[in-house]
Amino acid sequence: MLADQYLPVLIMLLVAGAIVTIMVNAGRLLGPRNRTETKLDTFECGNESSGSAWGRFSVKFYLTAILFIVFDVEVVFMYPWALVFRDLGWFAMSSMSIFIGVLALGLVYEWRKGALEWE
Amino acid sequence: MDLAPVESLGYFVPELILGVAVIGTILADLLVRRKEVLAVAALVAVVLSMLASVLMLADTPDTTLFNRMIVHDQFSLYFKIIFGLAAFATIWMSMDSREVDQVSQGEYYALLLASTLGMYFMATSTNLLMSYLALEFVSLTSYVLTGMLRNNRRSGEASLKYLIYGGVASGTMIYGMSWIFGLAGTMDYAGINEALTTSSPASSLALFIGVVLTLSGLGYKIAAVPFHMWAPDVYTGAPIPITAFLSVGSKAAGFALLLRFFYPALSSLGDDGQWQALGGAGWPQIILVLSMLSMTIGNLAALQQDNIKRLLAYSSVAHAGYMLMGLVVLSDEGLRSVLFYLVMYYMMNIGAFAIVMLVANATGREDFDSFRGLAWRGGALPAAAMAVFLFSLAGIPPFAGFIGKFYLFAAVIRAEMYTLALVGALNSVVSLYYYARIVRAMFLDEPDGSEETVSLDWSTGGLVAVLTVGTVVFGLYWTPVIGLADRSVRFFLG
Repeated sequence: MLADQYLPVLIMLLVAGAIVTIMVNAGRLLGPRNRTETKLDTFECGNESSGSAWGRFSVKFYLTAILFIVFDVEVVFMYPWALVFRDLGWFAMSSMSIFIGVLALGLVYEWRKGALEWE
Repeated sequence: MDLAPVESLGYFVPELILGVAVIGTILADLLVRRKEVLAVAALVAVVLSMLASVLMLADTPDTTLFNRMIVHDQFSLYFKIIFGLAAFATIWMSMDSREVDQVSQGEYYALLLASTLGMYFMATSTNLLMSYLALEFVSLTSYVLTGMLRNNRRSGEASLKYLIYGGVASGTMIYGMSWIFGLAGTMDYAGINEALTTSSPASSLALFIGVVLTLSGLGYKIAAVPFHMWAPDVYTGAPIPITAFLSVGSKAAGFALLLRFFYPALSSLGDDGQWQALGGAGWPQIILVLSMLSMTIGNLAALQQDNIKRLLAYSSVAHAGYMLMGLVVLSDEGLRSVLFYLVMYYMMNIGAFAIVMLVANATGREDFDSFRGLAWRGGALPAAAMAVFLFSLAGIPPFAGFIGKFYLFAAVIRAEMYTLALVGALNSVVSLYYYARIVRAMFLDEPDGSEETVSLDWSTGGLVAVLTVGTVVFGLYWTPVIGLADRSVRFFLG
C-alpha cells in the first residue's frame, strides 16, 4: 500500500536525477570551448571587475539587511490582508494596525538606540 | 468548545499580559533613565500573568482557542504556573547578578519575558505547526540570552553552538513532522489521533520514522541523551540566571510539548488510566532507551566535572532521564509523577544555581575551588542551603527530590519495569558521589586564605530562603502539589 502511493515520487526522483546528469554532461561533450580572458572574468553586470572577491566589508551591511527583512516580511502579510480587507472590515483594520504598530515600535527602538547610524 | 480568535481572548489573559509586558519593557527602556525599574516591571508582569493562570485553575471550561491552534486546559495551566515561577526566580536572580549588570537591561528582560511567552505556547499548542513555531520562539530567544555577555568569549561560543545545534535539531524535527502530516493528512493533534486510530498498520514504519525525527527536536529541548551535547557548553557560557532558566523553564517546556505530542496525539486512553500507543510505532521503547542513556551518561559525565555549572548541566541531563521514566510506563500515574517532579526539580535546581551565582558574584569564578571551605569564609548559610539543594537533587530523604523520585519509581515498579527501576536506582547512587563532593568541599575542606569571603545579601538570601524552605517542606508535606499534578493530567483535544 505504501509502495503504491510513493512509487510516483520515486519515479520523479529518478527522472529528475537523470535529466540533471544528461544536461550537464551533454553540455560538456557537445559544446564548443573557447576560453578568453574576458569570458573567464567575474561577471559584474558588464563593468570591468576590480579587486578580489574575498575583500572584507563592514558587518553593518548585515544589520541594515536584517532591519530591511522585517519590513519586507511585513509587506508579504499585507498582500492577503488587502485582498480580504473589504469583507472583514474593522476587525481586519484593527488587527493590522496592532501588527504594524508593534513593528513601528521596533523601528523607533532601533532608531533611538542608534542602529541606523552608519558611523 | 471551540473558539474563534476574538472570543479566545478571554482565555488568553496570561499570554496577553506577558505580550504587553514584552513591548512595554522595550518602550520603557527608551523612556526611563533608571534601568532597575525594568526588572521590577518584568517581575510584576510575571506575577500578574501567574495570578491570571491561578485564577483560571478554578473552574474554566476546557476549550480550543484561535481556530484550534492552541488549547486551554488544566494541563497547560499547570505548566504556565511552572514557567511563571521559573521566570520569577530568574528575574529575581538577574537583579542581583554581577554578570547581568553589564548587559542592556531592556533587551535582556524583554527577551526573558518573550521566552516565557514562547514556553506558554509550547505547553498549549495542539497543532504540529504551532508546536514547531513555539519551540523556535523559545529557541531563538534562548540563543540571544545565552550570548548576552558580549565581552565574554565563552558566552559567544555557547550562543553559536546552541544556535547551530538547535538549528539542526529543529530542522530534523520539522522534517519528521512532515512525515506525520503525510500519514495523517492533518496537523491538528485530534485529527492525527483520529487518523491513527483508523489507519492500517502498514504505515507503522513511516510513523516510526516520523516520530524518531520529531523526537530529535523534543529531545534537544529537554537535553536528553543523545541530543544533550549543547547543554554543557551552553550552561557554562550563559549568564547564571539564564542557565537556571534554561535548566528549569526550557526543560519543563520541552516536557510539556513532549507529553502533549506523545499522549493525546499519538496514544489513546483506556478506562483504567492506562494509555495505549497508536499505530504500532513503538515509541515507548525509544523513550525507554533514551531515559536509561540520559541517566547513565549524564551521571557518569558529571563525575569528572570541575566547573560547577558544567556539573549541574550534566546533572540536569540525568534528571531529564529520571523524568522520562514517567513517560515510559504509559499511565496517568507516570504522567502525574513527571508533573510533580518538575515542581520539586524547580526548587532544588534554581536554588543550587542561586548559590552558584552568589559565589560567582563574590569570587568571579564558578569552579570547584571557589567552593572550597565556603562554610568557613562567611558563607555558612549559603553552604547549608546548597547542601540541602544538592542532597535533594541526589534524592535523599526528607527533601523534595526524594518524594519526586519516589513517585517516579513507584509508577515504574507498578508497571513492573524492574530493569528500568534498577538502572534509575543505581544512577541515584552514582549521582550522590558528585553532589556530596561539592558538600565536602564546602564544609570539610579548609580555605587556604586566598579565597574571597562570601556573604549573603538580603535579596538573594530571600530567594534562597524561600527555595530552601520549599525543598524541605515539600519533602515532608506534599499533598497539595501531588493533588494539583493529579488533576492537571487532563488533556483536551476538542
